[in-house]
Amino acid sequence: MNTHQRARLTRNVILMAVAGALLFVWVLPLIWAFVVSLKSEREVLAFPPSVFFEPEFGNYVDALFGDFSIVDSLLTSTILATATTVITIALAVPAAYAFARLRLPGKRSLGFYTLATQMVPPVGLVIPYFLILNRFGWLDTYHGMVIVYLTFSLPFAIWLMVAYMEDIPWEMEEAAFLDKASRLQTLWHIVIPQVRGGIAVTVIFIFLNAWNEFLFAVQLGGNTVRPVTVAMYNFVSVEQTLWAKLSAAALVAMLPVVIIGIAAQKQIVKGLTVGAVKGGGRR
Amino acid sequence: MSTQGRVSLRGVRKIFGKFVALDGIDLDIESVEFFALLGPSGSGKTTTLRIIAGLDTPDEGTLFVDGADVTFAPPGDRDVAMVFQNYALYPHMTVRENIAFPLKMAKVPRVSIDTLVREAAAKVRIDHLLHRRPGQLSGGQQQRCALARAIVRKPKLFLLDEPLSNLDAQLRLETRVELKKLQRSLNVTAIYVTHDQEEAMTLADRMAVFLEGGIKQIGTPSEVFDRPNCVEVAAFIGSPPMNIVPAHLDGETLTIEGHSAHLAQRFDRAPGPVTAGIRPGHLRIDAQGIPTQLYLSENLGESSLLNLKLGDALVKMRTTESQAFTDGETIPIAFDSGSVHLFDPESGLRLEEI
Repeated sequence: MNTHQRARLTRNVILMAVAGALLFVWVLPLIWAFVVSLKSEREVLAFPPSVFFEPEFGNYVDALFGDFSIVDSLLTSTILATATTVITIALAVPAAYAFARLRLPGKRSLGFYTLATQMVPPVGLVIPYFLILNRFGWLDTYHGMVIVYLTFSLPFAIWLMVAYMEDIPWEMEEAAFLDKASRLQTLWHIVIPQVRGGIAVTVIFIFLNAWNEFLFAVQLGGNTVRPVTVAMYNFVSVEQTLWAKLSAAALVAMLPVVIIGIAAQKQIVKGLTVGAVKGGGRR
Repeated sequence: MSTQGRVSLRGVRKIFGKFVALDGIDLDIESVEFFALLGPSGSGKTTTLRIIAGLDTPDEGTLFVDGADVTFAPPGDRDVAMVFQNYALYPHMTVRENIAFPLKMAKVPRVSIDTLVREAAAKVRIDHLLHRRPGQLSGGQQQRCALARAIVRKPKLFLLDEPLSNLDAQLRLETRVELKKLQRSLNVTAIYVTHDQEEAMTLADRMAVFLEGGIKQIGTPSEVFDRPNCVEVAAFIGSPPMNIVPAHLDGETLTIEGHSAHLAQRFDRAPGPVTAGIRPGHLRIDAQGIPTQLYLSENLGESSLLNLKLGDALVKMRTTESQAFTDGETIPIAFDSGSVHLFDPESGLRLEEI
């Protein structure tokens, strides 16, 4: 082994060690939750923690079909996250195109204020939102929740999409204009197909944020609109916390997110690396 | 012969911020003409093309196509097709879809689209590549695809913005010939932007020389080459361009650096200083000529280009003499007495012969 090979081996070992350590930090809670979800509530609280036990799937049955079933909440979360994502994309794509391409008066400051809404800490907005929704009678309604989610998702999506749109050469749109395409046809036939990767990344971010949202859901939702993040709290009460059932419910709630993440992995990587290599990301 | 595709610009002015891109130009392009807009970068030629296409609107002035004022008409309403310097192919569409796109937008029936796409692709010999995407094509094939997309809907005007500049030298020569053939077979007006004067000279029926936002001369390539109407055009056209040296004219006697020569032409001008222009190919070595020092000799293969010091100026001479020269050597040069162009040193305008 020469020095060059040795240096490479050392570097690889260090890289693997760092990656392994990071992975461990992320995965440990998941493994722990999985193990807990297979124990009985008594075993969960045993100290020292029992390593050998008989795994049971009763907690999953309880979480899904028991007194505090999360199935309805999963449906609610799906409706909320899907509606938020669909409306966000439908509005953010044309808005981002306008920011990227049109010469609008006040475009720069408008762009700043769009992004500035992201800088407000959400907790400071809970009460104003509560009062507004209350005034409209929209507390604990789907449209009320979706509108609140849109106030966060839209600026973020617009800001993300503008970067992708600005990457498309002007000439390509000019060629389309000369080919008798209207502005909307150009957006539909030329621009959108080329920012598919960016749209995929945006969809995932928006969907995940809406799916994982807790703070607003717990304050502005109720018995009608109770997403899974809130429903899981039924396993936490003043007297006791049902750790095993909570873990089972959390893992079930996580499943759609993991599936989407794996399915869209390629698009995410592609979308995130656009612009890193000039022109390479679009093909 | 078609009478479509006549273009007129009247007093067209375009300003970007503080930069005057076009300073009130007038231009008339005839039907089915191959017209070149020639000039260095920043001279306003591409701006002119974009105004004709409708991608930019002028700040002042009017644009007529076939007599109709289209100054502010949107690009899609002008029936013009354009080939961009970087081709601007749609990367997510196949070659077939790229070529079909203008037809689809013009709502041509689906059955005709297929035939028209095949015809256009066959004209530029890419009909075997219809299923590929632009990313899978070579530069030359991409260029053909852009051409096919432009010709497929038989436009009134065919605009080309430096379409050959991204090709390698060999391919550029081949495509140049094909482009000219294509324009003739289509019988369409073509407006061609280039900074390469060889392209303009070989392709164009007529050309306009752009310098600093204005048109300096309009004419056939040979008119512009043989009779440049000002010093700027003289110093721009030709490869290498004309040698420009200060001189003194007295009747038929021209004096350069203290050496006098008898001219074959006569000029209606009182004795005084003039600017003389002589093409590198019109200089020759002559024992009785003006002595110069060789600065550098460049071998061009069939000929040599001698860079000679004449006073403070550097003069270029093309010679086919194969003898070896050494730097610093004194070479006496003379010019053909009929080949001198004279310009007014103040205005830069050409002095006409009588």
